[in-house]
Amino acid sequence: MRIYNPTFGLSAAGGEKIALKPVNWMTDAIALVSNSKPNARELLDGIRTKLGAVRAVTNIDFLAKNSASQPAPKDLLEKVAANYRGALLAIAD
Amino acid sequence: MKDIADQEVIDIDDMDVEAFNDLATQQGWSDGLPLYVPTEDKVAKFVEMVRGDNRPYPPVPPRQVVPTIQALAANAVMAGCKPEYFPVVTAALRGVLDPEYNLHGTLATTHPCAPMVMVSGPIRKELNINCGSNCFGQGWQANATIGRALGLMLLNVAGAKPGEMDRSTQGNPAKFTFCFGENEEENPWTPYHVRRGFAPTDNVVTVMSGEAPHNLNDHGSTTGDGLLTTFANSMATPGANTIYGKGPCFVIIGPEHAATLARDGYTIESIQEELYKRSRVHASRISQENQDTYISTGHKPEGDWFTIVPTPQDIHVTVAGGPGKHSAFIPSFGGTTVACVRIA
Amino acid sequence: MIATETFKPLVLAQAKARKVEPRLIVVKHPIGGLNAEELRERIEAATKGLTEATGT
Repeated sequence: MRIYNPTFGLSAAGGEKIALKPVNWMTDAIALVSNSKPNARELLDGIRTKLGAVRAVTNIDFLAKNSASQPAPKDLLEKVAANYRGALLAIAD
Repeated sequence: MKDIADQEVIDIDDMDVEAFNDLATQQGWSDGLPLYVPTEDKVAKFVEMVRGDNRPYPPVPPRQVVPTIQALAANAVMAGCKPEYFPVVTAALRGVLDPEYNLHGTLATTHPCAPMVMVSGPIRKELNINCGSNCFGQGWQANATIGRALGLMLLNVAGAKPGEMDRSTQGNPAKFTFCFGENEEENPWTPYHVRRGFAPTDNVVTVMSGEAPHNLNDHGSTTGDGLLTTFANSMATPGANTIYGKGPCFVIIGPEHAATLARDGYTIESIQEELYKRSRVHASRISQENQDTYISTGHKPEGDWFTIVPTPQDIHVTVAGGPGKHSAFIPSFGGTTVACVRIA
Repeated sequence: MIATETFKPLVLAQAKARKVEPRLIVVKHPIGGLNAEELRERIEAATKGLTEATGT
């Protein structure tokens, strides 16, 4: 018997895995990106404070989605890509 | 069986329905209810029904795959659809793929939203889609299986596996199926799809990522004003996503309530205005921490009041159901839209 | 990326769909609803995970 696979589809992503560029976490500009859920900003703020003990934090900035329920807007993603070498994202409730 | 996920057509041993359901469960294709077997000949009958619709499908989030029409048809077969239901199901899929619907967010969220599917136009009668008594409930093959087919597509094509990609805290029975017809025949106002710019003879699917219907019971009121008082105060809930998600909601008015409102001169627009004004939630009913959350995400109160949707037009109103003094409030996920698609 | 243990499967499934391999720091669930004292433990754990993952 032959059946159709109900999960079948063509992958929209390219065939190659995306490689991440190296980041110097001691000096590079870092974006702390909140998913806008309660306590995400507080979590990232606490991490930034702790990082202050080992590196300068003036180039560690907070960014956030407009809404927890909606995807990050394109301009936010472009801003992160253009201005930061590393990004720390908070994903959870 | 090797690499079954990568094969469009799968050769399996001849098996009965029970054995197929065991296989489907093992593969993660099942919503937990029995499935029909998506054999090549059955799928071909469904594909034939959408032969004239050649618009490509975009990648389906969160899994980001472009489905084949055969894979979509396989889900409709498994759901128990008749072939003639398939254009309704594919229209519903196109609706949830509207970028403003935010399919990724609605599937990955902890909120218990499910895709509400409302059908308008002559096709309701042709397919025997229930628009009257118990329209949200059991008993009609079209309602039950059209909604179920969309749910299976979201599971199998979109990848919304409960506990993995679908993170809903408690879920919702409407995730099994949530499809009904607009009761145009007992709607004293213009049908919903016509208000959205379609012709009365068009067949249209409307989708919204919604909670299960909340009952609006009012046997006592004899005026439209009284009904709106009941509706608005039942809608004024600090526990709905719309209050901070800033999204739409539906109010599905039962025909008897609709007749009273129309008799008293209410239009769709005046109902929207009245419900918007009267359903605001007073700050005293919301914890200070929750108010801080609303405000931090851009929903500022008007004085001491929080509106439950951004504008009166975000309260979508229409008529469905049968005899009785009940209506329904369906809050949405919040970060979503109400999408309408003409059935091809 | 910081995720709670409960949301790790979601992150991995989404990363697979996009063909990326995120560097993941996993902390206990939940984050929302915690008071400042409870959140402090998550901040400690996340910072420890970050320093281990990045060598800072």
